[in-house]
Amino acid sequence: MKNLLTRCALRLLPVLVFLAFGTGAHAAIDGLTGTTFNLTAKAGYLSTAEGGSYLMWGYANGSSPMQFPGPTLIVNQGAVVTVNLANELSVPVSIVFPGQSGVTANGGAAGVITREAPAAGGSVSYSFTAAQPGTYTYYSGTNSDLQVEMGLVGALIVRPTGYSESNKIAYNHPDSQYDREYLFLLSDMDPTVHEKVAAGLPVDNAAWWPVYWLMNGRTAPDTMTPANNPLLPHQPYNCMPMMHPGDRVLLRMIGAGRDLHPFHVHGNEHKVIARDGRLLSSGAGANLAENLFTSTVVPGATSDAIFSWTGAKLGWDIYGFTHATQPAYCDAAGNPTASYPADRMSQTAADRCKPIPVALPNQTDLTNGQFYSGSPYLGTLGSLPPGEGGYNPNSGYMFMWHSHSEKELTNNDIFPGGMLTMMIIEAPGVTLMNP
Amino acid sequence: MKMTTKKIATLLPALATLLSALPLCAAVTVQCPGDTNGDAQWTGAEVQPANTQCLHLAAGDGFATMADGHLQYLFSFKDVTGVPPQQVMSAGALAAELPGPTIKMKEGSHVYLNLTNVGMMMRPDLFDPHTVHFHGFPNAAPIFDGEPMASISINMGSTLTYYYRAPEPGTYMYHCHVEATEHMQMGMLGNLYVTPLQDDLPDGTLLGSHTHHPDPDANGPLPGDRYVYNDGDGSTRYDVEFPIQIIGFDSNFHDQHIGVQPLPFAGMKDNYPMLNGRGYPDTVNSASLPAPVIDGEPGVVSQKVSAKVAARVGQKVLLRISSLATVDFYTMTVLGIPMKVVGKDARILRSSSGQNLAYSTGSVTLGGGESCDVILDTAGVSPGTYFLYATDLNHLSNGPEDFGGLMTEIELTL
Repeated sequence: MKNLLTRCALRLLPVLVFLAFGTGAHAAIDGLTGTTFNLTAKAGYLSTAEGGSYLMWGYANGSSPMQFPGPTLIVNQGAVVTVNLANELSVPVSIVFPGQSGVTANGGAAGVITREAPAAGGSVSYSFTAAQPGTYTYYSGTNSDLQVEMGLVGALIVRPTGYSESNKIAYNHPDSQYDREYLFLLSDMDPTVHEKVAAGLPVDNAAWWPVYWLMNGRTAPDTMTPANNPLLPHQPYNCMPMMHPGDRVLLRMIGAGRDLHPFHVHGNEHKVIARDGRLLSSGAGANLAENLFTSTVVPGATSDAIFSWTGAKLGWDIYGFTHATQPAYCDAAGNPTASYPADRMSQTAADRCKPIPVALPNQTDLTNGQFYSGSPYLGTLGSLPPGEGGYNPNSGYMFMWHSHSEKELTNNDIFPGGMLTMMIIEAPGVTLMNP
Repeated sequence: MKMTTKKIATLLPALATLLSALPLCAAVTVQCPGDTNGDAQWTGAEVQPANTQCLHLAAGDGFATMADGHLQYLFSFKDVTGVPPQQVMSAGALAAELPGPTIKMKEGSHVYLNLTNVGMMMRPDLFDPHTVHFHGFPNAAPIFDGEPMASISINMGSTLTYYYRAPEPGTYMYHCHVEATEHMQMGMLGNLYVTPLQDDLPDGTLLGSHTHHPDPDANGPLPGDRYVYNDGDGSTRYDVEFPIQIIGFDSNFHDQHIGVQPLPFAGMKDNYPMLNGRGYPDTVNSASLPAPVIDGEPGVVSQKVSAKVAARVGQKVLLRISSLATVDFYTMTVLGIPMKVVGKDARILRSSSGQNLAYSTGSVTLGGGESCDVILDTAGVSPGTYFLYATDLNHLSNGPEDFGGLMTEIELTL
């Protein structure tokens, strides 16, 4: 297994580059904003982290390459949204918008569920008013059993009235306020389907047996490489949440595959404040929110959750401040002084200046993770043996966020991989690469 | 799966050789305040500090017997609390339990959990480290989270001490997080729950309309008030509790493992769904199951956690249900007694304004890593045997035996 970890570590080199140098700030969730979107259904190839390549069908932004998932459409509440769909595939395709009322379809040809863009050059146009804020999905309403598996699915985000850069809210209530938002579009995939479509053979959907599990269209560890990674031309979105202690992170979760996935966030519980684009409310904000350490992500459904982390109640100082190391912050009796940094007070007051109450084993008795800083303390770089650690240049706290159906942490029979990523909590003052 | 005790005997010196080849610093070193002889207990002149709890788990391999008699190789934990450090390696060898020892904490306690990696006797080709992941711990720090990529894990022959301030009360779970798909499918998991400080209130304390009585009631079936959460109103009060953990084994995976074959991750399909490491009817055996028989010779007793629920009519029965299945979701029902869900994922079901959101239901559905607290109010229920079972009826099986699986009995007596 060690060789697999090493292989995994090599694969993560871009992560290090990403973390150390960044890719420039970009606002919130990647996607397209506006009121009119021109999507093109076309074919392309999906790369899996262990080296696989599979035919996909996806929605592209106009003449851009096919992408999986499709472009995240970000619109404002109340906007009249038009989605024009052109079709370059050899089969008719369409789009349905679950959760939107009064969708009109124009042009194209009649289909079973909605009007379709006919094969090879056809087009159709959809229009609706984005009446309610929230997280939604869109996907093909034509042979959905096959076409969604092939990749014709994406996210739709409706920003509430009153949303601004200085007032980030997911719904029309302060309970949905957040500092950073991330998309978690979860899907599963049976490569046999894609191979058969590529070969022009009939597909048996009943024989579906997934061996890939994806977050925003990528398998781990590719989830952790930068967005718009040129090595993944058809999978532009990454999935690597970052925060500072005390921040509120919004998770926009979408079940875009066929199976349920128990999504577990290490580090703390998360508060599910909305499902399917509606606040969990009996009238007073998100008063019916659920605090969960694992939430079930359901196919075709969406949910929004707020995650926060403070380091409270651990019983020791997460920054490792003691009288010995920081006499200005901690007095001889082990109590914080007035100089204790104000930006490090999210932890419980009684825990400040208290060291970890146990001794850690000798380095030779330990296996160190590639994301371990070498120190138990946040923002502190410890010494590690050569070749160990190294993928945590700012010595953040990193927590795995993953499917707890552990089988899904594999890429076509190879562990580790699949539906996992690392969430990074950086020490105060460390610049976050994707704010 | 074929193996012989002779083979095991052959492997013992192999492991000993391996361990002696480790650096000199490798050692079983227990940290437990007030304990001077390293057995993680307070005996003789040793003084237990207030609100302090120590445990010592050995992580290694072993065997369990499925309800249809099929022998399964597994990885898991053994409770070696009380074992002198120099004996831990031998006490832990081939002694892993399914599930791992149940861990019970009191909210706010200082918990020192010592984890010693005793190695895998039947897989001397492996050098896997191990961890304990306290699943659901709020505001965790990576160092004690047990997720190996962002933290440390302990190598064979050595001990890592985890420190926790026992968090908010509720039903959590624990498991090894190293090579999680493999180690969890192999069985490195167990029940873990935290009891609330509200249990310790003085007799007569008013909790809303409920008066707290901690002492046993000699005249009735109530053994004294205990609560799932610090509810403030007695709404999560129960009399008897039963941790019930759902897991699944894919026998092919385990058989390939002991056969030192490539592990079938992509083909993983659990065919032995279990409650507390047992399929029905073993679930209702209130004692430890007999030691697994390995090539005609008894091994170490490894299935110690019964899944039988026994109560007296009138009692409130708390089921602490968790799932650490690595493949499937399961839905559990109780036939004949209403289920009241009072908590989920170690949080009381309350609105942000304090409204009680506990609900009555006929079933609960859990994926891996999810838990819920279900109270069965047996007031007015006729004495008899009731069943807790999976409504995914195909999981009522023990491998090829189409009977058993995810089911246990609730025995109600007067």
